[in-house]
Amino acid sequence: MQDSSQGFIFTLFMLNHINPKEVFVVIPAYNENAIIQSVIKELLPCQYNIVVVDDGSVKSLFPLLNKMPVYFIRHRVNLGQGAALQTGIDFALSKKASYIVTFDADGQHQASDIDKLLQVIINDKADIVSGSRFLKGASHNMSFKRKSLLQIARYVNFVFTGLLLTDAHNGLRTMTKEAANKIQIRENGMAHATEILHQIKKKRLRHREVPVNIHYTDYSTKKGQTLVSSFRIFFDLLLNKIFK
Amino acid sequence: MSGIQILLIGGVVTIFLYYVFRLRNALIDLLALFGFAGLAIFFILFPDYTNTIAGKLGVGRGADLLFYLCILLFIFIIVKLFARIRRLEKILTDHVRQTAKSDAQFLDDNKAKD
Repeated sequence: MQDSSQGFIFTLFMLNHINPKEVFVVIPAYNENAIIQSVIKELLPCQYNIVVVDDGSVKSLFPLLNKMPVYFIRHRVNLGQGAALQTGIDFALSKKASYIVTFDADGQHQASDIDKLLQVIINDKADIVSGSRFLKGASHNMSFKRKSLLQIARYVNFVFTGLLLTDAHNGLRTMTKEAANKIQIRENGMAHATEILHQIKKKRLRHREVPVNIHYTDYSTKKGQTLVSSFRIFFDLLLNKIFK
Repeated sequence: MSGIQILLIGGVVTIFLYYVFRLRNALIDLLALFGFAGLAIFFILFPDYTNTIAGKLGVGRGADLLFYLCILLFIFIIVKLFARIRRLEKILTDHVRQTAKSDAQFLDDNKAKD
């Protein structure tokens, strides 16, 4: 019952056609040499513009992406995911993007979810939409440890931003160009996720969460956040508050 | 004069001279530095005065007072350095981002579009 009604809503959504050339998918990548090609290949059929920001990977991703129809930007030194996202967003805006998507390079997101998020924006229900692994309809194969960590992160985010989301740290987001123009990521590291929420609140952007499917492989789990790195995020946030 | 006094005064004078040569144009900084160096040498020569001041402030010994002040100074320096690191990080980020964007290329068929 639930499924069929959801399906109906989605067919309604699908009526709003979107020109994929107006959509720019920004993929920050650091040392994702093993998997970046398959991530891009999964995205290509969607016909979006793809912007890969190589955040100073030890071995440049250029040879791997050569001959693929993507924009390639490379930071000469490793600055962090937040900085890579902002570079990609700047670039997409300079290319007259109407919609900007952020997408992780480690293969945990699914290309088909992008449209789900975009539809919410096209229907003018939000300025920025992020994926959630915990909303009804989402699926994930997350370890208990990671799940509890993300629960704590939710409340940390709430304290810092005033927004209580179901998923604290999801790399899949879509936004309008107006929203992208208003958001300026200054946190170079992983604390950018909280910073974005803070700016959503401050700039009074309309925000929604949409269930997405996440598939963790051994690869993405290894590259993902650990307990130690979440402490780092926490201190970055704290210091950012002090040193505005 | 005891050995430690000579050692400490030598250190203060060396540091002072070093900064005099580096900060030749910052007069106010130099005056402040001169004041601090003078104070330091005074307390090295007459350490008992620190006890008097400490007593007035409710701290037992002058050495303890110095210790507490050093902690404050230490925190102040960390904060200053941290703010500076963040400023440098921002400059670096802006620069790297600028070059990265101007070197951006479209890779299809190896044909550089922009």
